[in-house]
Amino acid sequence: MRPAAPAAAVPFRHLTALWVQITGTWCNLQCAHCINASGPREPWLAPLDAEAVRRAVLEAAALGVKEIYFTGGEPFLHPEVMPLLAFALERAPTTILTNGTLVGEAMADRLAALAGRARYSLELRVSLDHPERERNDAVRGPGAFDRALAAIRRLDARGLLPILTATETDRSTEPLYDRLRALLLATGVRKPRVKILPLYPAGRMDGRGGGRVTAEMVEQVGAERLQCSEARAVAAGGVYACPILAGLPEARLGATLAETLTANRLTHPACLVCWETGSSCRNA
Amino acid sequence: MIAPCRMTEPHAVRRIAVFGGVYSNAHALAAMLADARGRDVDAIFCLGDLGGFGPHPDRVFPLLRDAGVRVIQGNYDRAIALGHDDCGCGYTDPRDNHFARVSYAYTLGRTASEHRRWMAALPGHRRLTLGGGTALLCHGSPRAISEFLWESTTPDDFVARLLDEAQADVILCTHSGIKWHRRLADGRRLVNVGVIGRPENDGTPRVWYTVLTAEPGRELDVEFVPVGYDHEALAREMEREGLPPEFADTVRTGWWTSCLEVLPARERARGRF
Repeated sequence: MRPAAPAAAVPFRHLTALWVQITGTWCNLQCAHCINASGPREPWLAPLDAEAVRRAVLEAAALGVKEIYFTGGEPFLHPEVMPLLAFALERAPTTILTNGTLVGEAMADRLAALAGRARYSLELRVSLDHPERERNDAVRGPGAFDRALAAIRRLDARGLLPILTATETDRSTEPLYDRLRALLLATGVRKPRVKILPLYPAGRMDGRGGGRVTAEMVEQVGAERLQCSEARAVAAGGVYACPILAGLPEARLGATLAETLTANRLTHPACLVCWETGSSCRNA
Repeated sequence: MIAPCRMTEPHAVRRIAVFGGVYSNAHALAAMLADARGRDVDAIFCLGDLGGFGPHPDRVFPLLRDAGVRVIQGNYDRAIALGHDDCGCGYTDPRDNHFARVSYAYTLGRTASEHRRWMAALPGHRRLTLGGGTALLCHGSPRAISEFLWESTTPDDFVARLLDEAQADVILCTHSGIKWHRRLADGRRLVNVGVIGRPENDGTPRVWYTVLTAEPGRELDVEFVPVGYDHEALAREMEREGLPPEFADTVRTGWWTSCLEVLPARERARGRF
C-alpha cells in the first residue's frame, strides 16, 4: 500500500519532450531492472500502430515540441519504425532508445542514410549497463553486452555518435561514467558519449523504493527540476506524465496531448527518484 | 513562459552588433569592438557570459563600459554574481564537471565585488525595435537562461512558439557557443549570435559576432563576422594562470576539448573530440 499523504502537483510549463512508446512493452530482452517490465512475451502495454504515432508527432509539432523520443520495449521491433522515424525527423530532432540487438550492418546503413538527409539531428541511445560483460549480462541477459557494443561500433563507424545509456544498478562501485567512457575508447569509439540514469522503483523493480514527494519538497528544489513539467509520453491507452510511468493508470492524464498540458500529481514512488536526482530521461 | 522584460531600448535602431560568451577573453573582446566600430552600428549588445574559461576576469569590464556595450545577464554572470556553487550548465560527465569547477572557482575568486554587484543588476532580457520589427535579446532562450539552442535540435515549430510567446519578430540568443540562423517561412527569425570568447569547434582560432541591419523596405540582413585576435597571447596567459592546458589547446586549435557532452550528434560530429 502506498501512503495516503497528499501528492504534490507539478505545474506544466511547456512541451519540450514528446516520448512515444512505439512498441509498448514488447522487447526481445527481459532485463532485471526494466522500468516497465518489457519482455518478449505478452506485453502488458501494447505497441502503437503507425497512425497513432504519426498523430502524436503531428500534435506535438503543432504544440511546438523541441525533441521527440521513440522508446518501448525495443523500438526496432516495430514493423514501421524507419518510416515513422523519418516522419518524426521532418518535424523535430528525434532520438531512438534501443538495446542494439537489431542494429546490424544493413540497419546501420539505413540509419546513416536517414541521418544524412534529415533536417534535424538523429540520436541513437544504446543501452548497456555495466562495463564488465558478466555483470552487464547478469542484468540484461546472455549476449546483451556483445550485441550492444557491436551496435555501438557499427553506428560509430558511420559517424552517428551513439549515446551509451546505462542504468546505475549499483551505486557503490567506482565511477560508472568513467568506466563506460574507457570501455568506449577501448572499443575504438573516438567521441564517446555516455548517459547515466538512476534505478527507478518501477516495472520489474516495483516496490523497491518508497516515499512520496510532498508539495514542500517540490518547492524546495523547484518544479522545473522535474521532467513531468516539460514532457509527456504517448502510449497505448492515452497520454502519460513521463516515459517512466507510461501505461500506468495512475499516471494517465488524458487521451490527447492538448488535454494533458496540465499539472501532474506525483503519486508514484519513482517520482521520489526524479526529485532526489534531478534526473531527466532527455539526452542532455 | 517568458519572464517579464526588464529593459526596453528607448530608440529604434537600424544596425546593431551583437555578441555573447566573452569568457574572460579580453583580447577577442577588444578586437571585436574595434571591428564593430568600423561598421557604423547604432548600438552594441552583449548577451552575457562574461567570465569562465579565460584568464583575468576583471579585464573585460572596463572594455565593455568604455564601449557603451549594453549587456544582459548570462547564466555564468548570475552564478558568479550570486556566488552559486557552479555555472549551472548541468554537466554529468565527470571530466566536463572537473573543467567547469576549475574554471568557475578561478573566475569566482578573481572577480571584483564591484563587478559582481554590477552583473547582479543586469537585465535578463532586452527588447528593442529593429527596423520595423521587434527583437528580443536573451541569453539561452527566452524561456530559460541555461537552455541550449543548437541548429540541429531546434525545430521550426518550436522556434515559432518561442517567437509567439516572446511577441517578437526576431530572437537573438547565445549560450551554446556556435552561431546559426533560422528564417521561418513567415519571415520571423531566430539568430544564435555565437560567442567571442572561444572558437566554435571548427578547427580555426577565429571567433564570431553578428551584425544585424534593418534597411527600410528590405529584409533584415544577418551577417556573421569572423574576428581574428592574438590568440597565442591569450593561450600563454591561460597557461601562466594555471588554467587547464586543454583550454589553451582549444584557443590555439579551434577544437573544443571540454563541455562536449551537451553537443548534439551533428554538431559533435564536426569537431575533433
